[in-house]
Amino acid sequence: MPTVSIVTRRFEELARTTSYKKGVPNLRVSFVPHPITDRPAELCDQYLKGNDPISGQPLIRQIADGLAQKVSAEDAKSGFLEREPRPRLLQPGKPADIERMFHDNQWTDGLPIVMPTEERVAAMLKGTSHKPDEVVGVMRPSPPHEAWEFTVEMVAVNAVMAGARPEYLPTILAIASTGVTSLFSSTSSFARMVVVNGPVRNEIGMNTGIGALGPFNHANSTIGRAWTLISKNLGGSGKPGETFLGSQGNALTYNNLCFPETEEGLPEGWQPLHVQKGFKPEESVVSVFSGWSLNDIAWYSPLPQQEVIKNWLTHFFSFGTNRATLLLDPVVSTDLKDKGFKSKEEFSAWLAENSRTPGWLYWSTHTAELEQAKAGVEPYASYLKLGESDEVPVSRFIRGATARADGLVGVPSNTIEIVTVGGGTNTFWSGGDFSYVASASVDKWK
Amino acid sequence: MRNRIGWLFWTVVLLAARFAAPAWAEEAEITVLNPQGIKPAIRLIPMAERTGTLDGKTIYIVDTKYPNTKPFVNELQKHLAKNYPQTTWVVKDKVGNYMEDDPKLWAEIKEKAQGAIVLIGH
Repeated sequence: MPTVSIVTRRFEELARTTSYKKGVPNLRVSFVPHPITDRPAELCDQYLKGNDPISGQPLIRQIADGLAQKVSAEDAKSGFLEREPRPRLLQPGKPADIERMFHDNQWTDGLPIVMPTEERVAAMLKGTSHKPDEVVGVMRPSPPHEAWEFTVEMVAVNAVMAGARPEYLPTILAIASTGVTSLFSSTSSFARMVVVNGPVRNEIGMNTGIGALGPFNHANSTIGRAWTLISKNLGGSGKPGETFLGSQGNALTYNNLCFPETEEGLPEGWQPLHVQKGFKPEESVVSVFSGWSLNDIAWYSPLPQQEVIKNWLTHFFSFGTNRATLLLDPVVSTDLKDKGFKSKEEFSAWLAENSRTPGWLYWSTHTAELEQAKAGVEPYASYLKLGESDEVPVSRFIRGATARADGLVGVPSNTIEIVTVGGGTNTFWSGGDFSYVASASVDKWK
Repeated sequence: MRNRIGWLFWTVVLLAARFAAPAWAEEAEITVLNPQGIKPAIRLIPMAERTGTLDGKTIYIVDTKYPNTKPFVNELQKHLAKNYPQTTWVVKDKVGNYMEDDPKLWAEIKEKAQGAIVLIGH
């Protein structure tokens, strides 16, 4: 089918490289000024009367020509495009030159790396019983992009670069095996989080206590960093303009919030995250999350802690408006248990059922309901009377929820995850728009 | 005298070590492993034949519905219809958001049209 794509000029590199990787290197693309969203019709008219800002050709004629003009012999070819070869070893060089080359090729996170020499990679591979050439999995920057395949040795190379020790390799392999990139390509700037559970936390000396989320521990720091390098080098992610489009980027992706859950601080009846996800307590597991941001909160209030968290959930606003993950200090988890919440699930369900949605946010994300409200359909008409600053009695955190006049209807499954972490120095908790993506066994990679 | 010679010897050795060792280390070449994964093969997709004219043809303008881009889509259709009046320009919304596939629409285009324009935000 003759086709022309119209893309805004800001995404020229993305359009060209994607066409190439999809097997249509000379796909007929016309470019228009960026952006076209939120532009009035008069301005769009001007854009269309003008030229393609890349080719300089009259835009409308170029689009029509793209649909009508005959295809060259080159563009009618089938077969395969040759990719650049992938040698296992790179050309020898001085360390400073090699490091510069790694930076120039965007194979690093911009920080100094440990050179992945054969000796160091061989030492790293001693951290696993798996063969170096075993395929671990595939990873891609986002669903439309091509997936790259990688082996145990390739993961070990990136683990060396990140400064990791051999005993961390099974944890790093488990993260890589999820196939989840830490540098998801979207114009919004995603962040990732990885939570480690089970005996491996203590076996490799991870920090589960004071400052667990900070730069205070070799394992926490380098395992998280390795995920970023793996995403770039094994997942084809993180090339700005081509495989990464996050307008501002996200500082959390330097280390991807890598920390172990403070299982020792969980109150009785509160299960570790990996057990919640179906693993045995004695298993070692990594769980990865996707989101954008965290709020750090210690609020001294006459209100009980659960009310403070519920009110925060109601008014918390970020790119992800219907998902949340709470990182509770053990002090907070214990307080909540003492208040009667016998498990994480019970507290999560209570929050989902009792949190609400600010009026302005509800109406900006429920345009169909707004029309019904204006037509007098209940319960929306009553919601609308509340005004934009009042709370609409609908939770954002119940999967499959449907509005009802008396408030909430929903299945028990909700979108609020809870992890306990911290050193117990205060009643701190963090909350953000992270959602659970996947878990993988660390033991499998030992 | 022997003491002085001894001091002089060790001073020379230490100075040589201080300045020569880093230079030696910097100049030594190393071999490192490739950090990159395996890229898949790219199968070429031959571009569809064009007949040289749009007269009498139906072309679908597929709106991927990036938020607040409808004014652009409508203006695009107006310009195309004005400049190519012998062609039928049909605007169709793709289902879901801009990330979702729409096999039904692709089938409809194959059945009813001879070409398509696909708009991608932002």
